[in-house]
Amino acid sequence: MYQSFSSDVLVVGAGLAGERAAVSAAQAGQNVIILSLIPPRRSHSSAAQGGMQASLGNSAMGKGDSPDVHMYDTVKGSDWGCEQDVARMFVNTAPIAVREMSAWGVPWSRVRNEKRMYEGTEIVEDPEKVGLITARNFGGTAKWRTCYTSDGAGHTLLYAMDSVVIKLGITVHDRMEAIELIHDGTRCYGVVARSLRDGSIYVYTAKTTVIATGGFGRLYAASTNAVINDGAGIAMAFNSGVVPLGNMEAIQFHPTGMVPSWILITEGARGEGGHLLDKDGYRFMPDYEPKYMELASRDVVSRRIMQHIRAGHGVDSPYGPHVWLDIRHLGEHRINTYLREISTIARTFAGIDPVKEPIPVRPTQHYTMGGIRTNKDGKVYGLDNLFALGEAACWDLHGFNRLGGNSLAETVVAGRIVGEKIAEFTKHATLEVNSALIEEHVRNVEGRIDQIRSRGKNGENWVEIRKEMQMTLELNVGIFRTAEHLQEAVDKLGNLYERSLNVGLMGDGGQGADPELVNALRLPGMVRMAITIAKGALERKESRGSHFREDYPQRDDQNWLKRTLAYWPEGAKEPDLKYEPVTITEIPPGDRGYGESNVKK
Amino acid sequence: MSPRQLTFHIFRYDPDRPEVKPHTQTFKIEEEMGMTLFVALNKIRDEIDPTLKFDFVCRASICGSCGMLINGKASLACKTLTKTLPSDITLFPLPAFKLLGDLSVDTGTWFRDMSMRTESWIHTDVEFDETAQEEKMDDDLALEIYEAERCIECGCCVGVCVTANIRQNFIGATGINRVSRFMLDPRDKRDEQEYFEVVGNDDGIFGCVGLMACEDTCPVGVPLRGQLAYVRRKMTVAGWHRK
Amino acid sequence: MYLQRAMTRSIKTDYIVELVQMVSGLLLVLFLWTHMVFVASIIIGASSFGALAAFMDKYELLPIAVVAVIFMFAAHIGAIARHLPARWAEQKVAWRHAKMIRHYDTWSWLFQIVTGLAILLMALIHIAVVSYGGISVVFSKGRIDNPAFLVFYLILLLFSEYHASVGLYRIFVKWGFVSRRRLEFVLGVVSVLLVVIGCVSLGMFLALKLVGGVA
Repeated sequence: MYQSFSSDVLVVGAGLAGERAAVSAAQAGQNVIILSLIPPRRSHSSAAQGGMQASLGNSAMGKGDSPDVHMYDTVKGSDWGCEQDVARMFVNTAPIAVREMSAWGVPWSRVRNEKRMYEGTEIVEDPEKVGLITARNFGGTAKWRTCYTSDGAGHTLLYAMDSVVIKLGITVHDRMEAIELIHDGTRCYGVVARSLRDGSIYVYTAKTTVIATGGFGRLYAASTNAVINDGAGIAMAFNSGVVPLGNMEAIQFHPTGMVPSWILITEGARGEGGHLLDKDGYRFMPDYEPKYMELASRDVVSRRIMQHIRAGHGVDSPYGPHVWLDIRHLGEHRINTYLREISTIARTFAGIDPVKEPIPVRPTQHYTMGGIRTNKDGKVYGLDNLFALGEAACWDLHGFNRLGGNSLAETVVAGRIVGEKIAEFTKHATLEVNSALIEEHVRNVEGRIDQIRSRGKNGENWVEIRKEMQMTLELNVGIFRTAEHLQEAVDKLGNLYERSLNVGLMGDGGQGADPELVNALRLPGMVRMAITIAKGALERKESRGSHFREDYPQRDDQNWLKRTLAYWPEGAKEPDLKYEPVTITEIPPGDRGYGESNVKK
Repeated sequence: MSPRQLTFHIFRYDPDRPEVKPHTQTFKIEEEMGMTLFVALNKIRDEIDPTLKFDFVCRASICGSCGMLINGKASLACKTLTKTLPSDITLFPLPAFKLLGDLSVDTGTWFRDMSMRTESWIHTDVEFDETAQEEKMDDDLALEIYEAERCIECGCCVGVCVTANIRQNFIGATGINRVSRFMLDPRDKRDEQEYFEVVGNDDGIFGCVGLMACEDTCPVGVPLRGQLAYVRRKMTVAGWHRK
Repeated sequence: MYLQRAMTRSIKTDYIVELVQMVSGLLLVLFLWTHMVFVASIIIGASSFGALAAFMDKYELLPIAVVAVIFMFAAHIGAIARHLPARWAEQKVAWRHAKMIRHYDTWSWLFQIVTGLAILLMALIHIAVVSYGGISVVFSKGRIDNPAFLVFYLILLLFSEYHASVGLYRIFVKWGFVSRRRLEFVLGVVSVLLVVIGCVSLGMFLALKLVGGVA
């Protein structure tokens, strides 16, 4: 028994990327349904406080900026791991996307007609530009390029985007979890989903299916991510056996997760002029990175912090050593206006007033560059009529390290670019689906659920397995990686995977909307992804961007200027790793100008 | 000093199983350093009762998922530290919304409906021009709009509002605040009479009886009283002008 | 929009009713306060009270006031009824809600309903009595000497002052401008003052010695 819906376009995930793509399709007159685990405005997109990069060049410190400069920063940031044709489209479209979002209602912060001191220099704005969208400084960028709305860029973008979704009357089914792709090995026809309100099964068929379910940070024990970011959408594609995931080992650690709740302190804090201090109150970043200091790329700053902590300069705490983020010198007004969210978070969750005290921080898992591999149109490898975008996808704008402000930008820019491709594709697509195929997939999902229910208390405990998986990645596949630890992780996770296939329920039977069943059902897919991360990292015998191997500390363009593609064939116990070349169209591999300068000559 | 023993009294009800009457269930756990209700509830679910329903997403007071009544006071569970509470903690779901089970309520449907009724989007005939520079706006005005837009749709103001609890169609402080956000915005071309049609009635601003539980509650500190008064004054003038 | 609503309702109705509620409330407060000041003339002396009563008699102010007050009562109640939990189920929700959220202003609103209903009843009795007996020192003294009436007037005094000050507070809160804390303070002081004046007036009546049936 199931309810079914059919549409031209089915979007799984209602964050910024998914909604933007849905808007494009709806504007083209197509019938769109969006599925979401939660009400759209609660999506993790809302948590992006810092801003989005676009080379408008309105602020005095952004003068002379252009898509070319943005392009160079992005490619350098990615450590030459990104697709340069994708990056080019992205940097050219970003300014348009910012302005479009402005037209849709985002109250972007504007250039002010007043002087301001920044790191000892006075900034004087161009009077001609007053009132245009301004920008702040972010890591790894040559110009001030990150457009923002005080402390709530993601929030205001998401609310504006959702207002357009509502205006266009796009159907959203919230509290609906997509469980399995309906496919025949070559083409995707939609998904089998399960309602989180009452546990009933739904079938959604569509000419075009789109996955925009965000990242998988919650595979790690300490992550800045929202609790829903467990990669369930990516796992769904991976489980098909024919869709590859790209660069799963490329995991970003944000330099400033707050100890011990691991809630993010935005890069905007350093962009506005915040400093990193060690246990002696000494500002150590200039010693490591004389040019960019606190604002080198995130992978570099995270490594430098850990390096400094390893040298014995960390502040001891019950949650392990940390460093301080100090914004006191910015003054009360600036902190409470443009960094208000930070003061609220520091006050609420750590009992610290950042106007008076520094904030305890440590690098924390933050973003996943990898995901469902797509071509530059957002079309997923391996299955027709299937697209993916946003953090869930490996469109590959970010390579091995994403620049701060490029992920929020990616959601709306990819949403625009891929959204148009989706609309175009759907115009010519048809939907003829064999009902036996649907039945087969529905039975498959019901079978999985029944098995878990029938094992009950005799099955494996999902809480235990999930915790062990998270700790394994945390301890063995972190900022500094070695063959020994990675091998240990692969072995442990392999063992956990076996156990996850026998998961049961500790509660009373998993009826209706039982939250336990939801978690148990997701578990095997999560462990599969965890193994893929560890395995990809073990095999990649070089250091590139956020992937740093202590036993191979240099970047190796000779052998490793390529992207990992991981497949999970049906019944396999480990992923099957393949590789493809990286597209280089403009900027040949070179030195980043920050970091360890580790290019293997 | 040994850690406190916390006793939770949590509302339990599953609408799919009406034969089990609504009741409160007691759970005891040990307090940890810096413990929030997010940590505590997950501990209860992971270790004691895996069937307990509640909603968290960002756990950083940004997304607005976890509004509930904490010892009678509506707030976000994720940002409530247990050390600010007595050792007996009573948790109830937010009133006024459809109950999905235990502490989980359907705020999403309510807010989408409110957004549709207040037509919460920029109304304009101006076509977006890809090649044109953006319209200029004073940064202070942008900040003012953002002040109203900071609402995270947690529903706490609706949950505590007597009117919203007895009048299903009342859009609540959040709805009126939403309208004020668009009134402030010069990009929205609606005139006062169009706003009056949306909010100049008892389902809107004139349904408010001024108890200000909303303002006393708002977990992100949106200055709701000011926004409500602003809309009231604007709509009074609009009502005066209306034929 | 439903058919009956589309056909009968002017979109301005709610707006007008809201204004009626506020204006009638304000006029009632104005009346109450004037009334209290008039009564307080007894503090100066029985002769001042008598003179005021004679003045009102001369211009037939009493019947005018009675009619006006009844009219304002009707308007105020008519306008405010739309906000009230009218059905029993709504009453239950409102009371349970106030208990649950422990919010001072929400309780004060429920007290508004209770005091409002009580005032309606008591004020009607008061108006009937006064209309019947007219205003005079002797007639007032006669009632105050009766313990039942004394209690009756004490309660009416407290309820109406409470109701008026909370109502005023609500109006200012809804329209903005003044901070809530300052409002609470000012209105609190005014109300206490008026209650004190009212009590002193009642005391004066009690203490008054009548000589041969006149003051």
